[in-house]
Amino acid sequence: MAEGFDIDHLAKLARLSLTAEEKALYASQLGQILGHFQTLAQADLPATADGARVVDESVLRSDEPGPILGAEVVTRIAPASRDGQIAVPRVVDDES
Amino acid sequence: MADALHELSAAELGRRLASGALASRALCEALIARHQAINDKFGAFTHLDEADVLAQADASDARRKAGQGRGPLEGIPVGIKDNVAVKGQPLTCSSKMLAPLVSPYDSHVAERLRAAGAILFGRLNMDEFAMGSSTENSAFRKAFNPWDLERIPGGSSGGSAAALAAGLVPLALGSDTGGSIRQPASHCGVVGLKPTYGLISRFGLVAFASSLDQIGPMARSVEDCALLLDALASADARDMTCFGPSDRALTPAGDARKLRIGVPKGFLGKGVAPEVATAVNAAVEFYRSQGCAVSEVELPSADLAVPTYYVVATAEASSNLGRYDGVRYGHRSAVSGTPVEMMTASRSEGFGPEVKRRILLGTFVLSAGYADAYYVRALRARAKIRAEYLAALAGVDVLLTPTVPTPAFKVGEKAADPLQLYLEDVFTIPANLAGLPAISVPCGKSGRLPVGFHLVGAPLSESKLLAAGRLFEDAHGYAHQQAPL
Amino acid sequence: MSQVPSDWEVVIGLEVHVQLRTRAKVFASSPWGFGQEPNAQVDPVVLGLPGTLPVVNREAVEKAVLFGLVVGAEIPERCAWDRKNYFYPDNPKNYQLTQKDFPVVVGGRVEIELPGPSRNVMGEHKSVRIHHAHLEEDVGKLSHAGGGSLIDYNRAGVPLLEIVTEPDLRSAAEAEAFLRSLVAMLTQAGVADCDMEKGQLRCDCNVSVRRRGDAQLGTRTETKNLNSISSVRDTVIYEAARQIRELGAGRSIAQETRGWNAELARGYVLRDKEDAHDYRYFPDPDIPALKISRETVARLAKQVPENLYDRQRRYVEKLGLPYTAASVLVADRVLAEWFEAAVAAHPANPSGVANLVANDLLRDLTAAVPPIPLSACPIRPASLAGLVKLTDEGVISKQQAKEVFTEMFNTGQEAAAIVDAKGLRQNSDTGELEKIIREVVADPSVAKSIAEYRAGNEKAINALKGPIMKRTQGKANPGLVDQLLRRILG
Ligand SMILES: [Mg+2]
Ligand SMILES: [Zn+2]
Repeated sequence: MAEGFDIDHLAKLARLSLTAEEKALYASQLGQILGHFQTLAQADLPATADGARVVDESVLRSDEPGPILGAEVVTRIAPASRDGQIAVPRVVDDES
Repeated sequence: MADALHELSAAELGRRLASGALASRALCEALIARHQAINDKFGAFTHLDEADVLAQADASDARRKAGQGRGPLEGIPVGIKDNVAVKGQPLTCSSKMLAPLVSPYDSHVAERLRAAGAILFGRLNMDEFAMGSSTENSAFRKAFNPWDLERIPGGSSGGSAAALAAGLVPLALGSDTGGSIRQPASHCGVVGLKPTYGLISRFGLVAFASSLDQIGPMARSVEDCALLLDALASADARDMTCFGPSDRALTPAGDARKLRIGVPKGFLGKGVAPEVATAVNAAVEFYRSQGCAVSEVELPSADLAVPTYYVVATAEASSNLGRYDGVRYGHRSAVSGTPVEMMTASRSEGFGPEVKRRILLGTFVLSAGYADAYYVRALRARAKIRAEYLAALAGVDVLLTPTVPTPAFKVGEKAADPLQLYLEDVFTIPANLAGLPAISVPCGKSGRLPVGFHLVGAPLSESKLLAAGRLFEDAHGYAHQQAPL
Repeated sequence: MSQVPSDWEVVIGLEVHVQLRTRAKVFASSPWGFGQEPNAQVDPVVLGLPGTLPVVNREAVEKAVLFGLVVGAEIPERCAWDRKNYFYPDNPKNYQLTQKDFPVVVGGRVEIELPGPSRNVMGEHKSVRIHHAHLEEDVGKLSHAGGGSLIDYNRAGVPLLEIVTEPDLRSAAEAEAFLRSLVAMLTQAGVADCDMEKGQLRCDCNVSVRRRGDAQLGTRTETKNLNSISSVRDTVIYEAARQIRELGAGRSIAQETRGWNAELARGYVLRDKEDAHDYRYFPDPDIPALKISRETVARLAKQVPENLYDRQRRYVEKLGLPYTAASVLVADRVLAEWFEAAVAAHPANPSGVANLVANDLLRDLTAAVPPIPLSACPIRPASLAGLVKLTDEGVISKQQAKEVFTEMFNTGQEAAAIVDAKGLRQNSDTGELEKIIREVVADPSVAKSIAEYRAGNEKAINALKGPIMKRTQGKANPGLVDQLLRRILG
């Protein structure tokens, strides 16, 4: 069930860097946990996941501007800032 | 010492404060002194701003004097789990990732507590980002069970339960995603209630798994638990999943002797320790002796609950915790380079092993090629489990089981085996998957260690759960119990 | 501009992001708007602080529904939001709330008009299918300074409607015409302002090419984040030429994501297929599925303005306007409605009204410093109609009408009042005019012109009109002068 389980790929997707020991440990633990999930794979389940709540428009927010934090607060809690903006290492085009 | 302030219930403290026999400042000073004396032994609190607490107490006393008291919680301290935002206080979730963060805003429940005149008292220890069942996953320090300092207090609201059991506060907030209020309540001999999903606003509760998380009250008695629940529940336009209380009262209501109690078939087969089985069977017999109809109910998909829960919860968590990247707030790594390298390093340094494990698991179950086999199937399984519970609860008023299969285990005992730890939640998880209210009430001891039983009801049946708990509590000696420290 | 060889066909699909016209953000109450100090329009929800939750803005939903109704789309009973997970510093939660499986708008069509052979000849019309449109949130803005980057989250959470077309467009000109038509529809319905200088409209452009006659589509590339109509046009031209060149040389097209450098007028590869994101979409657990009532849809349907090209057809076919004037008027809903109000006050001559509105009025409004918006126009529609009426009735000449128009524009006075005050009413008293004409005709200096006229040179008569108009200080009705002059000359 967990074939194709690629810890390097997962770590990259999750933006985590793992040591070799961590990779080995997580790979084996995740394998074990996923093994336990076999019951889910074998279960006889309904075709759809109905039952989620649906709301009507009465719960929507009206288009009234509300309070802001202020750039001073935004930059105060930021790890690094400059000129009212949050500073990060240089972003190269679509690095994501 | 029966009259020591830390031993009194919130209800009794409220009466004394109202009569003028007690000032909030005196109460808070006593609890601060107790905190200073014993908190280090078991690490219930990770932060307490004494000056702020006393300032709140003085403001409360002044309101009282001016005849502007705000109700039954006026002047009463409430401990806050460190995943609930209080403006001006740390909001760390017991994680290194958020260690630098002071919340610039109030959660809905913080606003409710302020509006009720309560004292927002300190930050309670927890498993990092509420992921765990032992509070061993706190990045700051482990918490211990006040009844036995070698054992875990449960989790993730372990700090809340330990603080109550040790008499550090009369009331505490917990949050419950798969049992995180009820399991520590059971292990520490206190009462914990997870409300119907949507009864209490999640605005300001740091998300672990959004479709399962719910804030709830914890106390040393059912009555106190009801008092706090009533203050917390209200509609909030900032949470689209919150519908607020119905007009049904949140206090214990109805004649608990008329309740129909369902006992799931075969629950004692699930690795339940003999002392736990004995205590819970005694609770069943107690209700039968009071006139309740007790019957056995079938929940055929019960075995699906744990895998379903861990797929749904970790999937949501992997996304919810994406925002912690060292850019806008919280921990940023000193590793520079590209933004990707900075974010990756910040996350790798900021998160502990259990959080990383769950992020990886959640990332996997949502990833291309696997989402259908895991995440989508889990949603379908969840719908099935919900339907079975609602069907069962059409025939009975409450379902009764142990809260946890075994009493509190030793610190470190299950640390190496995450799967074993996940199975701790087997009785509590279905209520989260189905969005149902559930309560854990103390019902005995295994040696020194408290044991609790667990009641699940239909949506918005909190008053029934409270009434049932109250009936049991009144007939037994487990209310207001504190660990001998 | 490189020409597409006739044996090749270009296939284009667009994904257009427009910022909807709301006051608050789409999932938060923070205000938004252009030109604020950085991070001044950020609240805890926008910043993605731990514990915060989205709540959908009703106005954003209604603007999206209104768009759907404008293009004749289906508005499903239920829409829902999903999380698109990807890490990027401008994305506060590292997931974007968007609608993957249950968008607010499904289907619809946008009519487009291609440029005609000349400005006053209408070009071909075509209908472009909309696949769907979904409501999502914008991200913050990155700028680069020295060795680092700076982030302003003011734009984060601004409501975006992403409008996705079917691959129905076949040329850069069609893509351009589509965007112009779309912008007109969005602005005329009040859905969005589409101010491209403020980044309110951005496009992703999917281009592929194939040999004409091929049934199968070629491999497409997606060029992201084009922020002007001209960038879309240039991208299509560039990308089509590049793909044809590649295929012509026997190479294949890689399915890749590209960027566009407008300064260099060059595209470049952002990432190839192997780098494609795994967005791990799943339904957002914080926003329940939303049921949109049929009452809301019916109420919004009443706000749908007349379709741009329906209006143009009506102006040409029913009102008899020349295409040039009609196309100018319908491009702006306020202008068209202003024009129609004027026509209502003087229904006899829509073309005369159109001529003044589309030429004189527009010219003077734009030439003013600063330019005057139509909403502040000093002339009311009925007043303009009054001017046309005075001209049509021969009270003033067309030449005089221009002068009166300028005076109306400057003073806001009614046409009749200006005509009276200036004594501009044309002299139609036949007796006095006849006397003046006879005097002019008797003057020996015009004898030569009279002789020529009588010899059959029609134009020679004009030489007599100048002195007549001069002696009447221009008040004579030119038609009457002509008539009397011919009679007197015999
Ligand atoms: Mg796109
Ligand atoms: Zn988009």
